[in-house]
Amino acid sequence: MNSLPHAALDPDTGWLILAVFSLIWVALGAHLGRRTAGLEDYMLAGRKIGLALGTATTMATWVTSNTTMAAPQLALQMGVWGMLGYSLGAVGLLLFAPLARRIHALMPTGFTSGDFVRLRYGNTAWRVFLVISLVYGFGWLVSMGMAGGVLVNALTGIDYRVGMTVILAVCVLYTLLGGLRAVIGTDFLQTLIILVGVVALAWLAISGVGFERMHDAVLARRPELLNLLFPAALMFLFNNLLFGIGEIFHSNVWWSRAFAFREGVGFKAYLIAGIFWMPIPIVAGFVALTVPALHINVPSADMVGPLVAARLLGSSGAVIVFIVVFAALASSLDSLLAATSDLILTDLYKGHLRPQASETELAGAARWVILGLGLLAWLLCLPRITTLAQLLYFMGAFVASTIWPIAAGLFWRNVNPAGAALAMLAGTVAGLAGYFLIGFYVAALISAAVSMSIVLLSTWLRPGEFDWALLSPARETHR
Amino acid sequence: MTISVTALAVLVGTATLVTTLVPVVLVIFWIRDWLRGELW
Repeated sequence: MNSLPHAALDPDTGWLILAVFSLIWVALGAHLGRRTAGLEDYMLAGRKIGLALGTATTMATWVTSNTTMAAPQLALQMGVWGMLGYSLGAVGLLLFAPLARRIHALMPTGFTSGDFVRLRYGNTAWRVFLVISLVYGFGWLVSMGMAGGVLVNALTGIDYRVGMTVILAVCVLYTLLGGLRAVIGTDFLQTLIILVGVVALAWLAISGVGFERMHDAVLARRPELLNLLFPAALMFLFNNLLFGIGEIFHSNVWWSRAFAFREGVGFKAYLIAGIFWMPIPIVAGFVALTVPALHINVPSADMVGPLVAARLLGSSGAVIVFIVVFAALASSLDSLLAATSDLILTDLYKGHLRPQASETELAGAARWVILGLGLLAWLLCLPRITTLAQLLYFMGAFVASTIWPIAAGLFWRNVNPAGAALAMLAGTVAGLAGYFLIGFYVAALISAAVSMSIVLLSTWLRPGEFDWALLSPARETHR
Repeated sequence: MTISVTALAVLVGTATLVTTLVPVVLVIFWIRDWLRGELW
């Protein structure tokens, strides 16, 4: 396991921070969850989330630990375009704003993104979609769990497995206690912590190193990082754009929020969150450009953020990074746990195994699913199999294939259902081939291109005729 | 084509400034929703 030669924090301080913030998140989650009544309230927080909590939870969920860990990593590998490419992840949030309004209007009683695909395209497309969505959900969960372990180990010297276990256990516990209400309530506080921490580190890096010194050192040692025509970085930029759009369009993390937001809030919350989120990867990522000026030896690229903070600020820098990344991890892990468990409960358990399950049975099963998901993620995190960015962009092949079937299916009556299923399947396979044969930076690009071609061609050859009223049948209010 | 030090400073400086203001806006939203009874 990689760890700093001299961890910036001693393990006792690390344990103290972990204990204090774990207690805060669990207590807050339990407190917010005490008002929860019934399955719909547990899964969708009563469908009455306002603009403040809606915007904050959207931002916090999309920040993730990747913004604080992988954004500096990508800046170190891809330079200026690495930061800008990452910030284009915001385009997915911006484009989802009209979709959120449409989803709320078409499916006022909907629960998951799987509900939409099943009702819109039928069972074959639904099952292909579920495989993609669940593979992605697990991949993201594992990515977050690994990030937690890496961070704790790098900053405090606490064993990777121990740190990862604590962070996962805390998130599982408060999500279990409070459902989506706990997730969204804690997200607001976590957003404020993340933003204040990231901005504090950025100002300290600017004042500590300065743009001129930073620029000169990068130009002397890593000039390609400042090159605006860096080919791999340009490919990465477009790839990241499509990855972000695909992830947000398909994932139940974002659909469950569209269902949970109060009427009229979805469009505004996603639009504002996208605008507010866009500069964050630049603020978090540019600190990696101080590496040449500070003569930091980076043993593993995904540790560059904590390394720079520790060099610039010593113990206090390490404390800030630790708190920020713990908040970022928790805000994404809880959302993933809640949204993925909703998908498993509604689309696998009720959809495939127990179609006649009562609300009481589903409410009990919801908690077991969250617990099981947490356990599975923990098992997959035990071996640190890959770097965070590698895992993230492997998933690009899966998610980008869903962009066209989802977007076209929400607005276009004529989309061919078989074509939509084939588009997701063939797009994923082609994207994976691109990932292994060319590089990670083309996986989403190829996947989206193939998927789009199939949706357009199949609809042109054999157009369907969908009745929008089928998306909101009375029987869908099963809980 | 290399990005100049000025362009880099403008890019990072603007992003940092905007991000500094976001928590303030979120708190204002929270107070507004709370006063209207639209928080949850």
